[in-house]
Amino acid sequence: MDLHAKRKLTNKVALVLSLIAMAFGLFWLVWILWTTLQLGVSGLSVSLFTQMTPAPGSPGGLANAIVGSLIMVSLATVIGTPFGILAAVYLTEYGQHSWLGSTTQFINDILLSAPSIVIGLFVYAVYVAQVGNFSGFAGVLALALIVIPVVLRTSSDMLRLVPNSLREAAYALGAPKWKVITMIALRASRAGIITGVLLAVARIAGETAPLLFTALSNQFWSTDITEPMANLPVTIFKFAMSPFTDWQQLAWAGVFIITMGVLALNIAARILFKNRI
Amino acid sequence: MSVETAAQLDTQIAFKNFDFFYGSFHALKSINLDIYKGLVTAFIGPSGCGKSTLLRTINRMYDLYPEQYAKGELNISGRNVIAKDVDLYDLRAKVGMVFQKPTPFPMSIYENIAFGVRLHEKLSKSEMDDRVEWALKRAALWDEVKDKLGQSGMSLSGGQQQRLCIARGVAVKPQILLLDEPTSALDPISTLRIEELIAQLRGEFTIVIVTHNMQQAARISDYTAYMYLGEMVEYGVTDEVFIKPKKKETEDYITGRFG
Ligand SMILES: Nc1ncnc2c1ncn2[C@@H]1O[C@H](COP(=O)(O)OP(=O)(O)O)[C@@H](O)[C@H]1O
Ligand SMILES: [Mg+2]
Repeated sequence: MDLHAKRKLTNKVALVLSLIAMAFGLFWLVWILWTTLQLGVSGLSVSLFTQMTPAPGSPGGLANAIVGSLIMVSLATVIGTPFGILAAVYLTEYGQHSWLGSTTQFINDILLSAPSIVIGLFVYAVYVAQVGNFSGFAGVLALALIVIPVVLRTSSDMLRLVPNSLREAAYALGAPKWKVITMIALRASRAGIITGVLLAVARIAGETAPLLFTALSNQFWSTDITEPMANLPVTIFKFAMSPFTDWQQLAWAGVFIITMGVLALNIAARILFKNRI
Repeated sequence: MSVETAAQLDTQIAFKNFDFFYGSFHALKSINLDIYKGLVTAFIGPSGCGKSTLLRTINRMYDLYPEQYAKGELNISGRNVIAKDVDLYDLRAKVGMVFQKPTPFPMSIYENIAFGVRLHEKLSKSEMDDRVEWALKRAALWDEVKDKLGQSGMSLSGGQQQRLCIARGVAVKPQILLLDEPTSALDPISTLRIEELIAQLRGEFTIVIVTHNMQQAARISDYTAYMYLGEMVEYGVTDEVFIKPKKKETEDYITGRFG
């Protein structure tokens, strides 16, 4: 066999192997989506968005859980994002070579891979147990603690991708450091940073463990964040584990809503990143 | 390119016993050099000899990096700008810089130009419009972009981006323009346009250009400095440096026997 034919064969083998790997991954993904679609869509109805979570056997929806999730996820994002971005700015623009910078980076990477149940228990121990009651705010804290390392990591990666010559070009015009950071570095990486925020939102939208010990759940309509707050993941957990078919049906509808939401966020992130604004 | 007689030469930048260090690495050794006002001065020499390093001291770019420092004198318009108390923002308003790879900012063409101007002057909207037009015309880019000033600066071709960067520097109305291999990332036609542009800007600005292309240095510069291993080997009128260099090392480099 000559070299050329050998290369062609290697090429073919590699191609087949990667196709098999791709098919294997896609198979599960499609199955998951299909099951969600099949079981979730049949549960979709207007009452899902207008009625509260019911007692077993009575009609109802997920309105309180949907709104609770929206409130907690939005607040957690609004609180966590600035910390993440500001810390990333410190890491890449000020503390690259400092002891504090590399330590922060290291701790953040640990936090990033910490199981979310640990975060939930942590907030339970330092906040819920102290004040003595579960609350939406405790849930927000736990979710924000998950948002921060994700946003920090993606933002600092994106800021590091900004070529140094771009910063130097701004300094060469006589720009002060804060202008170089806000007008040049952050601006050049904003598509990537927003993508990171969207991915963080997608991540916390489905988190159950950190809410189990913090926001708990609430059978009734409540937008008071000092009280236990209904949310999709915990409701799904509770309903799916129950023996009641109408609850199970609602759980699948909830799964469908979250899946679609996360899918939409991922697609938005992708489009945004591609266009890089 | 004609050179004014010595009597008319006006020194704008003067290095005196100037040394530069990257931490413990002694990158420039006792440089003595007078760069003349309104002329084009080229730095040539093999890669790694310190051309960029020397250029980047003129606007104290090295200040961004704590481990880098300079010793000696670097006088611009008679003032030693190495001194600690020099206002870097003022210095950089007087000294524009263009880099090897085009560096358009992530904003519109108009904003790319206005960004630097706003740092130093408060202009009304119409004054700013005029300044942007003036700068783009000086950089021979106006005709190509006048209908799309709101478009991203990054949407331009490489050669246009580099002219945008020159316009951005010119817009601040500096006295000195530093160019670090401004054409090395460009195609021959874009290169030619930049060279023509440099010829047009000559006189109005003191231009210092680093180039690894000796033909380019010969074509566009009035004075040429040949550097080797951090030292200034030979400096003089470009034609003389190229036609009858005083030093053997320079001749070897120019004739391609080395480098
Ligand atoms: N940031 C830096 N840190 C340490 N050494 C550097 C740095 N930049 C350049 N040098 C060294 O300084 C010398 C001159 O570099 P440079 O001025 O970039 O050369 P040229 O522009 O002539 O190719 C080279 O030996 C190079 O390795
Ligand atoms: Mg160089």
